[in-house]
Amino acid sequence: MSKLRVAAVSFLNARPITHGLERGLGEDRIELSFDLPARCADRLERGEIDLGLVPTASYAAMAGELRIVPGIAIAGFGPVRTVLLVGEVPWTEMREIALDGASRSSAMMLRLLTRERGLAPRFREVPHDDVLAAARGTTGALVIGDAGFAAADRYPHVVDLGQAWCETTGLPFVNAVWAGRPGAVGPAEVALLQQSLAQGLAARGAIARAFAEAQGGDPAVYEAYLTRNIRYTLGAEELSGLSALFDRARAAGLITRAVRPRLYESPKPAAPARSTAPRSVDALLADAAGGGRLAPDDALRLYADAPTLELGAAADQRRRALHPDDVVTYIIDRNVNYTNVCVTRCKFCNFYRPPTNKTDGYVLTREQLAQKFQETVDLGGVQILLQGGLNPKLPIGWYEDLFRWMKANFPLAIHGLSPEEVRYIAELEGMSLREVIERLIAAGLDSIPGGGAEILDDEIRYKISPLKCSTDTWLDVMREAHGLGLRTTATMVFGFGEEPRHIVSHFERLRALQDETAGFTAFICWPFQAEGTRLKLHDDTTAMRYLRIFALARLYLDNFPSLQVSWPTMGPEVGQVGLRFGGNDFGSAMIEENVVSQAGAIFKLGAPDIERYIRAAGFQPRRRNMRYERLAAA
Amino acid sequence: MTTPSFAAIRDKVRAAEPLTLEDGVALFHHPNLLEVGALANEVRERLHGDRTYFNRNLHINATNVCEASCMFCSFARLEPGKPGAYTMSHDEAWGKLRARVAADDPITEIHIVNGLHPGLPFDYYTELLAGLKRIQPSIHLKAFTAVEIFYFAKKFGMPIADVIAKLRAAGLDSLPGGGAEIFAPRVRRKICDDKCTADEWLEVHRVAHRMGLRSNCTMLYGTIETVEERVDHLLRLRALQDETGGFQTFIALAFHPDNNSLMKLPAPTGVEDLRTYAVARLMLHNIPHIKAYWIMLGIKTAQTALWFGADDLDGTVQEEKIYHMAGAETPQAMSPAEIVRIIRQAGRTPVERDTLYNVVAEGAALGPDKPYRRDVRRSLEVVS
Repeated sequence: MSKLRVAAVSFLNARPITHGLERGLGEDRIELSFDLPARCADRLERGEIDLGLVPTASYAAMAGELRIVPGIAIAGFGPVRTVLLVGEVPWTEMREIALDGASRSSAMMLRLLTRERGLAPRFREVPHDDVLAAARGTTGALVIGDAGFAAADRYPHVVDLGQAWCETTGLPFVNAVWAGRPGAVGPAEVALLQQSLAQGLAARGAIARAFAEAQGGDPAVYEAYLTRNIRYTLGAEELSGLSALFDRARAAGLITRAVRPRLYESPKPAAPARSTAPRSVDALLADAAGGGRLAPDDALRLYADAPTLELGAAADQRRRALHPDDVVTYIIDRNVNYTNVCVTRCKFCNFYRPPTNKTDGYVLTREQLAQKFQETVDLGGVQILLQGGLNPKLPIGWYEDLFRWMKANFPLAIHGLSPEEVRYIAELEGMSLREVIERLIAAGLDSIPGGGAEILDDEIRYKISPLKCSTDTWLDVMREAHGLGLRTTATMVFGFGEEPRHIVSHFERLRALQDETAGFTAFICWPFQAEGTRLKLHDDTTAMRYLRIFALARLYLDNFPSLQVSWPTMGPEVGQVGLRFGGNDFGSAMIEENVVSQAGAIFKLGAPDIERYIRAAGFQPRRRNMRYERLAAA
Repeated sequence: MTTPSFAAIRDKVRAAEPLTLEDGVALFHHPNLLEVGALANEVRERLHGDRTYFNRNLHINATNVCEASCMFCSFARLEPGKPGAYTMSHDEAWGKLRARVAADDPITEIHIVNGLHPGLPFDYYTELLAGLKRIQPSIHLKAFTAVEIFYFAKKFGMPIADVIAKLRAAGLDSLPGGGAEIFAPRVRRKICDDKCTADEWLEVHRVAHRMGLRSNCTMLYGTIETVEERVDHLLRLRALQDETGGFQTFIALAFHPDNNSLMKLPAPTGVEDLRTYAVARLMLHNIPHIKAYWIMLGIKTAQTALWFGADDLDGTVQEEKIYHMAGAETPQAMSPAEIVRIIRQAGRTPVERDTLYNVVAEGAALGPDKPYRRDVRRSLEVVS
């Protein structure tokens, strides 16, 4: 077997990534060389290497042909210190900016950031070593890499682009990723690369000292840079940041096609080691609040024994660590249920009509849809949550036509078709899940809502909705969607008489998939709304149980960036209190919702109300889109 | 003036030292809601453990005709004969109790609060009470806010003590805590200028306590008062309690904005409700009970408040009018079984009490302790 030809960057910030490889890790399978970022991309394109640590902009340029190694990136959230715009005048006065030809991502980011601020400087590409010399008068210079350390003190005007990006989008910026052709890298190589990074992260002190010895400078400064400024994970938030970059670049005409981050398959994560000695509730809470991972038994213990406010306080602490700026986001979208005809007959559903029902069954017409979409746009909405029953009369072509027509006529994202609907279309058409999702993406699908998860445990699913997809199928749809670069949410509905172990098993399945794909943006849960349905339950659906389960979810789902409170079911008061039990998102200012409201939930809030509740809980409200990218205030 | 630290306040609470105005204000501003809640919960559990009280009661609002024109009120109709104005005949009011008795509903308390009707004679009130006692001699009559008692004293030219003595002879057992609103004169002038003053309200309760009656106390929050004015209100209640020891329960009442002159103000939100309850529990160390009045808070927030200092949910409440005319969307009554269930589901121990907090029923007498069924097969009774 020939070795995998790999090229990486020799900048300081890449050293942790290559640290293990440089020390002989996997040397029988991997052949490592070094180059400038843009050159890595060129060599990859020419087929001279199999895998390169390439600028994300290069990935975008070759999108469709490349896959990304999961879990690893050079990213930043806040100041990065090595992507700087420097000059003798502020950037608002720069007529020209010299771009470092070595990196394309930073150049793309700079073009987008200047554009968002209404600035229109000329851009001129110069060789890496000539950049600083170009910064004179009204010409600024984009300095990347280790040159940034020295440049920061030499110019009166310095903009840290990592910081500017983060302030603009509320998301991390991803500078470079490992990318290669599909099939070039398997789970075993991915594991090696992840191991190399893990060794490098542990050796950041030594890396900083070695760099200081070779280049001069203060090792403590370099270590702080590697520890605080650069983030090396490619998790859910970084994927959101990456999507935001690609979407903005496309809107600005810098790339011509829609680009999504598509990942190589991950190695299966090892089962967490079981601690033998049971730990106290206090120790578990302190651990989880600090970001430690809970095992299923720990979660059962907390569910049974943790005092409510202590559980909430631990979740609140975790939320603060993940979202330290005290911003709570919300979205303006509209829930459109395109059909109520459904073959599943779930006992808890009050909304569906079987296909045999000739009087009340509907499929919304284009006229009806157009009116709803236009109203949504007029009210500042950015997205349609499009869900419906499993209607045997609607082939995939119906959805494709609908999506293309929507995209051609309305500036709205399509957050549509829960896993159950995707599965049903595949069954109806005799297609694979992957094929269905690919075609829907090509037609305009932006993301998949996490509905229909109920409890991801077949013991419960079979009782309440025997005709619905199994836990594995639900997760398969999400896995395929994430693999194709879509982001999705995940939900849970409790109150079906399930035991705590079913709830924890639901959390566990979601967390394991998220470890694999990082494709989930947020988790949302709510109690079953029984009124008027055929399911007569006497389960606990009170506020207290909701808050306990919600807080536990924040602690257990350590790899989910966002937790959304469910005010439509719990009411705005409890929804608001949920922001102090781990929540960082207030969901949607909903214009329409049919399913839950037919079963008794009647709460309605507009954007001003939502902002008032968020502020009264001590947070700053910000609007977002589905990727949790923050939008400018309307 | 420096702001006291949360740690310093916590030390004081644990040493059972009274908190100051500055402490109370700091608690309202403390960024960590759950820390304030947990501290209030410590006090609540020190006093009551997990015990959570409720009673079986009936509300009678005999008239909504009222001389006062409080801006936050959606209930009052200023003149008799105006659309929506009503005054019950004795038979109508008594009929409500007769109906409960006929339904075998073992209520223990009637809560009576009315508008300040300019045309009713004093014996309307005494006869109202006497008639109820004739129907059920054991029923506890918690009737007439201090505002009404003070109005009677002025209107019928009697000292407060005489008004109370006469009502007591007719059947009055205790006073409800309403009408306190916010004591600060600035706020009172603006929102309830023609109501009795803070001193007058407190004097009625002082006199009642001296005559051996127990009473409750309240605070209306969420109109135009400042945080300082809320704490000042609590401190005045605490001072009277130091003097007389007659208050049983404090109830914080959230302003509801529908159908009144303050409609432009938003109602306080859940987080503000919980914080107000928690701060009240911490400031009012000498008042035994804090009641989360579910009619006003909503069942969900009231249940949550049981972890933020509250130890009482009020009662089954039938025929509540005052909050429902201000837009409350809660049901008008909860069954004892429902109250027991939500208390148990909050992880607390329900205790049915009478008005004076004597235990009526607890433990197994309130039904088997099965918060919810854990057996999937049995819980899914599907009606096809």
